[in-house]
Amino acid sequence: MSDVKPVLEDLNVIVAGQGGDGSLTVVNVLADVLRGGGLRVYTERDVLSRIKGGITAATLRAYDGERLCISSHIDLLVAFDQLAVPKYAFRLNSQSIVIYDSSNGELPEGHGLPEGVRLIPVPLSRYAVKHFRRDIYKNSISFAVIGRLIGLQDDEMEKAFVKRFTRRGAQAVKYNLEALAVGCKLSDEAGLEVGKGKFEITSQDAKPHMLITGNEACAFGFAVAGGRVFCGYPITPSTDVMEWLVKWLPKFGGVVKQAEDELSAINMCIGSALTGTRTMTATCGPGIALMQEGIGQLGMAEVPVMIVDAQRSGPSTGMPTKPEQSDINLLCYGGAGDFPRVVIAPGTPEECFWLTITGCNVMEKYQVPVFMCLDQGLSQNTATMDPLDLAGVTIDRGDRLDAEQVAELEVYKRYLFTESGASPFAAPGTPGGMGLVTGNEHDEFGLVSVDPINRNRQMEKRQGKMESMKPELPKAVTHGVETADIAFIGVGMCYGVILEAMDILSSKGIHTQYHQVRTLWPMLDETPAFTQRCPNTFVVEYNYQAQLKKLIHSHGGNDENMHSILRYDGVPMQAKDLVNEVITKLNLKEDKVA
Amino acid sequence: MTKTFTPARPIWCAGCGDFGVLQALVGSLEELKIPPHERFVTAGIGCSGSLQNNLSCYGYHTLHGRVLPTVTGAKLANPELTVVGVGGDGDGYAIGGGHLMHAFKRNPGVTYIVMNNGTYGLTKGQASPTAPTGYQDNLEEDLDPVMLGLSIPGSTFIARAYSGQPAQLARLTTEALKHTRAGKGMSYLEVLSPCVTYNDTYRDWRTSVYDVDSEEGYDPENRTQAFTRMQELRDEGRLPLGLIFRSDRAALESLSLNHDYPAPALQDITKPDLSGVCNDALQSFIK
Repeated sequence: MSDVKPVLEDLNVIVAGQGGDGSLTVVNVLADVLRGGGLRVYTERDVLSRIKGGITAATLRAYDGERLCISSHIDLLVAFDQLAVPKYAFRLNSQSIVIYDSSNGELPEGHGLPEGVRLIPVPLSRYAVKHFRRDIYKNSISFAVIGRLIGLQDDEMEKAFVKRFTRRGAQAVKYNLEALAVGCKLSDEAGLEVGKGKFEITSQDAKPHMLITGNEACAFGFAVAGGRVFCGYPITPSTDVMEWLVKWLPKFGGVVKQAEDELSAINMCIGSALTGTRTMTATCGPGIALMQEGIGQLGMAEVPVMIVDAQRSGPSTGMPTKPEQSDINLLCYGGAGDFPRVVIAPGTPEECFWLTITGCNVMEKYQVPVFMCLDQGLSQNTATMDPLDLAGVTIDRGDRLDAEQVAELEVYKRYLFTESGASPFAAPGTPGGMGLVTGNEHDEFGLVSVDPINRNRQMEKRQGKMESMKPELPKAVTHGVETADIAFIGVGMCYGVILEAMDILSSKGIHTQYHQVRTLWPMLDETPAFTQRCPNTFVVEYNYQAQLKKLIHSHGGNDENMHSILRYDGVPMQAKDLVNEVITKLNLKEDKVA
Repeated sequence: MTKTFTPARPIWCAGCGDFGVLQALVGSLEELKIPPHERFVTAGIGCSGSLQNNLSCYGYHTLHGRVLPTVTGAKLANPELTVVGVGGDGDGYAIGGGHLMHAFKRNPGVTYIVMNNGTYGLTKGQASPTAPTGYQDNLEEDLDPVMLGLSIPGSTFIARAYSGQPAQLARLTTEALKHTRAGKGMSYLEVLSPCVTYNDTYRDWRTSVYDVDSEEGYDPENRTQAFTRMQELRDEGRLPLGLIFRSDRAALESLSLNHDYPAPALQDITKPDLSGVCNDALQSFIK
């Protein structure tokens, strides 16, 4: 064998098995080792709404650069359960390798693998039971085989194991290291000796990276932005926001309260926000539906609360662990009556952090509900990013009055008519600033009123905020060639796959751009204007009804210039899917494509 | 002095029991010298849901049934406020009934006063959860929220008053506020408050109420005895009044908050501690 090996630039691995087999652990440790070597990593999970069992998978991409999606090429499939092989076979190609648990025999016919796939049978489960009397150690055994295969050093793997299992205690470290050693021995027997790995793994860019999910980034952004109260009800895939804050918010001087349901959660948030505290909840479609009355109350009573929507497949309970972007209508239009609200759509964990801070500032300044519109992919997939520069954090709480400022006023009115629509706010506890807050129509003092002239003025005051705040809302980002007449629009987890599709198209000589819209409501003029300008705009979204495209159209977007690429099967798109759509739709020459 | 809203005149029917509750609450707040700016009074939906407009305070009108979650959130964010939630029996026991058991269980430092008249006055007299069998063709047995409260181990203060007996109402309102202000958690006071228009129960209640405060040997610190006595009195067709149960337990907010910091609402968040906790959190994503 030649000593010259390819440098590892792009590795895509699926680890699959029964739920509870530890696939996610394997991927997490692998991600940790590879990012230690300077590669950027991205991980994705394909899980079921059950604690144990069923075929589930965790997928890893290690890339020499930034990629926020899994590649169309899978290099390696690790299958703890042979049933995982036919399930994921369609993602493999003739260069792929499959490591599978052969404890119960060889892989039977009908596995559907492409010709040329290299099979590595390893009796993982049998060895786990033989050495540890516990099946669960098979994932640690498998790690050695994977590491040897791709070219990791044994000591690197050991170091990663110590790091990973230390928090579970000395016993866990000891047994998992032993399992790793068993795995190394099995690897030797399978011909995967030290130094025979497939790749050269270099450490060119070994500067530290953060490894973070969108949910975590929203939670972190909220804490840094001065968020101090979070009330929520657990619901997949939003729960990690609460989990992170349970651990960290008390250290910031804040508190997390788990409510009995979403009705309670949103109303606890209202109570907290009424005291002048930055407040957040996180949920997904069904939870938003339950919170809907409270969200209308936020708009009417002018109470600022941030709501993270980690969208999942609907309708109703839908597919709880699968991604979708089908709450766009709900977020932009949901609720009884007309009220102002903001819907912000970040595309990366980094944007989740910064736009949560922007959103917190806007919500307090204009006293409105703000949604962070995420999706299961952006919410839960992990990505590396450069360490955040926190010096860029600014906090704007709007027009808040302390006792002295109140004392200088002749009169204090909670719902004072102002040019911007937002009224100066004295928090309860401030001497002299007593006011009434209500979801009934009210006069400037907050006393209930059905006077038609007052009604019109109050309605116009509230709705007027939408125009006032526009300059402060996140603008779209343009990626790619600004003059290209083929473009993409898409939010959330579409971000990474669109950027990769653009690179593939570019390598074929097809230049494209990406108009990454980041504020969905109120929609800024830039997006409809963009679709007027660009003749071929592909609006990529995870829903059936083309909610984003219709939203743009209803704001003056050019329907003739927009083509939908829709997905609602719960499976993340791959770049090649987009590339094919563009080529087919625009009838581009095949030779350009090959 | 800055002018702010002038408390409105109540919109209740003449003779409504809610006048008594308002009077007792204002009297107790004055007696305990709680200044208007420290009062956070939250009311539900229904006739009782306008009470916060009728006294000097920071007032909030919640969504129907959501008084308890709202006051819980407010108290967690700013425990220095005297937080009072009020509402009716439809608000608290029907649409908001699910929150009641969790509030007892959580024991937040709030005073919760339910004006119970057994009917939906504002929508013209339908049966509420506490309406007796037969009222407006009601086929269901009435709910006894006092016994519900007693059945939940976390509850710390349960009392019932009658707006036809203002002296006891005033005393129990003060006791309720004191319990909460002493850091012992939620004080729950149900007030039998007749609806003169749709369910005028003054005459019935005058004869059926029974005062446990003046019963010799009644021990409000004995949950088992309280529960048994409530069942006995119910079987006799009586409506027990008085301080029914009281116990000592720390309030939710004192157990939940990080006391190294001021209350969440009182922190200056405009200058984040970038080199301290913010950086620790950032580093946790790197290591």
